[in-house]
Amino acid sequence: MNQLLRSNEMVRTESTNLSYIIEEFLGGGGQGEVYRARGRRGHLNSGSRDETVALKWYFPNYLRQDQDLKERLKYAVDKGPPSDRFLWPQELVQATDRPGFGYVMPLRDYRFVGMTDLVARRVLPNFRALVTASFELAYNYRQLHAKGLCYRDISFGNVFFDPENGEIRICDNDNVGIDGQSSAIDGTVGFMAPEIIRGEASPRSQTDLFSLAVLLFYMLVNHHPLEGARETQIRCFDLPAKTRLYGTHPIFIFDPNDDSNRPLPVHHDNARKLWPLYPNFVQDLFTRSFTEGLHDPKKRVRESQWTSALIRLRDSIFYCMQCKVENFYDPDALRNSGGSSRTCWECNSPYRLPPRMRIDHTDVVMLNHDTRLYPHHVDRDRSYEFDVPIAEIIQHTKNPQVWRVRNLSTHRWVGQNVNGQLTEIDPGEAINLSSGLRIQFGNREGEVRL
Amino acid sequence: MPKLPGGPLARRPLHFIWIVDCSSSMHGEKIQELNTAVKEALPYMRQAAAENPNAEVKVRVVKFSTGASWQVANPVPVDKFLWEDLEANGVTDMGKALQIVAEQLDSKIMPQRALPPVLVLLSDGQPTDDVRVGLRDLMAQPWGKKAVRLAIAIGGDAEKSVLQRFIGHPELEPLQANNAESLVRFIKWVSTAVLKAASSPASQTQQGDRSANVPLPPPPEEEDIEEGDVW
Repeated sequence: MNQLLRSNEMVRTESTNLSYIIEEFLGGGGQGEVYRARGRRGHLNSGSRDETVALKWYFPNYLRQDQDLKERLKYAVDKGPPSDRFLWPQELVQATDRPGFGYVMPLRDYRFVGMTDLVARRVLPNFRALVTASFELAYNYRQLHAKGLCYRDISFGNVFFDPENGEIRICDNDNVGIDGQSSAIDGTVGFMAPEIIRGEASPRSQTDLFSLAVLLFYMLVNHHPLEGARETQIRCFDLPAKTRLYGTHPIFIFDPNDDSNRPLPVHHDNARKLWPLYPNFVQDLFTRSFTEGLHDPKKRVRESQWTSALIRLRDSIFYCMQCKVENFYDPDALRNSGGSSRTCWECNSPYRLPPRMRIDHTDVVMLNHDTRLYPHHVDRDRSYEFDVPIAEIIQHTKNPQVWRVRNLSTHRWVGQNVNGQLTEIDPGEAINLSSGLRIQFGNREGEVRL
Repeated sequence: MPKLPGGPLARRPLHFIWIVDCSSSMHGEKIQELNTAVKEALPYMRQAAAENPNAEVKVRVVKFSTGASWQVANPVPVDKFLWEDLEANGVTDMGKALQIVAEQLDSKIMPQRALPPVLVLLSDGQPTDDVRVGLRDLMAQPWGKKAVRLAIAIGGDAEKSVLQRFIGHPELEPLQANNAESLVRFIKWVSTAVLKAASSPASQTQQGDRSANVPLPPPPEEEDIEEGDVW
């Protein structure tokens, strides 16, 4: 098939003169084409090894449009990735007998799928994976912004996730640049902030926040937040239509003060079915993003607000006792409904909550059969550490009705039951879950409810 | 047991129509190169369509020589579409081809909601019928006007001014394919990059053209001229 580079063609890095052999065409977009390539690293005499990478090569006419691309890439290479979730440019490459250039980056593993696979339902992850992926997106874009960078083109095509566990990869990092500096990139229609679509602003971190909110909405609600009744009134969905829907007259499909753009049956079923499942504290962030945040960039929800809400959301997952599907515990909704019980979205049986732990009177974690606690939960100084669990829920070997929490950490905990009786829980030991049990983890304390 | 409520996103149809010159001047190498190029581009077209959850891409083919007719009349979903090799002989009734496309783009026949159709006209010569009538009919249809219209001129004898009128956009010129290589490149571009742009635009640059209702990425350039090519 005709393509920019040919199989077995060789390109070289600009600085170190390492070579890469083109193996296979992987895909093409508006800017260039991506190939799998094999490179030789290290010195020939000192145990060199082949390394397989992804290699992007630009269309000559794109290079003319994006004049500062090379500078941007060099800056990104020097700066290094904000975290291991970014498939970050590693080196610039050029060919001996053709103009132009490209760059190499880590190859994306096959376990990662695109957002398009999710909304087309070619994959069916569970809520835990979706919420984890959402958290990872917010957390890692925050790492990027913390470095003074902006991404400029947060969209469907640029993120991938593992449907088993929600781990993400962010690619197409060649649009990344210093926040506030001008750029040739405007973004992707549907994800661009309204002020960019109207031609009033250029991409920066505040517009990234809008695109992130759209992406998170797609991840959790599997639908676009501005596509409701008004979209169905449009016959031809082209740029003028999108400019109106996303730029000049955007209305959130769940705007509490404007019901003119509500999602309709058949056309927008995902929005109608998924949105009501989420607790108020998540709906509120989306509502703010797509009401005030549509018009005032300063009022957009920040990544730190997303990360804390999304972890709270993940901790609120529990399984229906009847049909085993995941539901979300929403203390506000239970309170507002005057205690009248809510029901499972799948089988309609009334909620029966598992044991749960309230940590420092704020965070509530459902203690399901498969729940793990992490340093994030028990140590104020280790927020967002989820690599190695420090506690797990297990069933009592002799009495399966009794559930226990086991200490997987290296520190002793102290438990205190409702009678004031103290128990030391050493690493590897477990304690029965009982109502009112308090566990001192160090600088945080959890209280169990049954 | 479903893990998630809901289902796949509702999609809008995207009608993609190949309009192919099968006059006798296309006979031999040219029509075979065209057949090969479309067949080679097809997997990439399917991939581009799969990457877009909002679009349901459906393909049709019109051929014109002495008269014009639908080679594939009913829109076929792109993952089921197969290219039947075309043969060439006769004159160049391009106007008639545009007329029968216009008939099918009638709002009464088209679905209530869709994405902009993509019409790709491939020709190597001069129309022998009155192409103005065909263009008039096409542009009289709202879906004709909204369509992304692209043209590929095969070889140096194509009547480019006619192709330019079909495109109807001052900044978008017919793609000039002087050899099999560039024909493949252009056919791949229209069936992937253009298809993507019409269904859900890719990243945009500020220099990008926004006067059209579908902003297109820049087409591939003419390059790699071989010594033996007529250039």
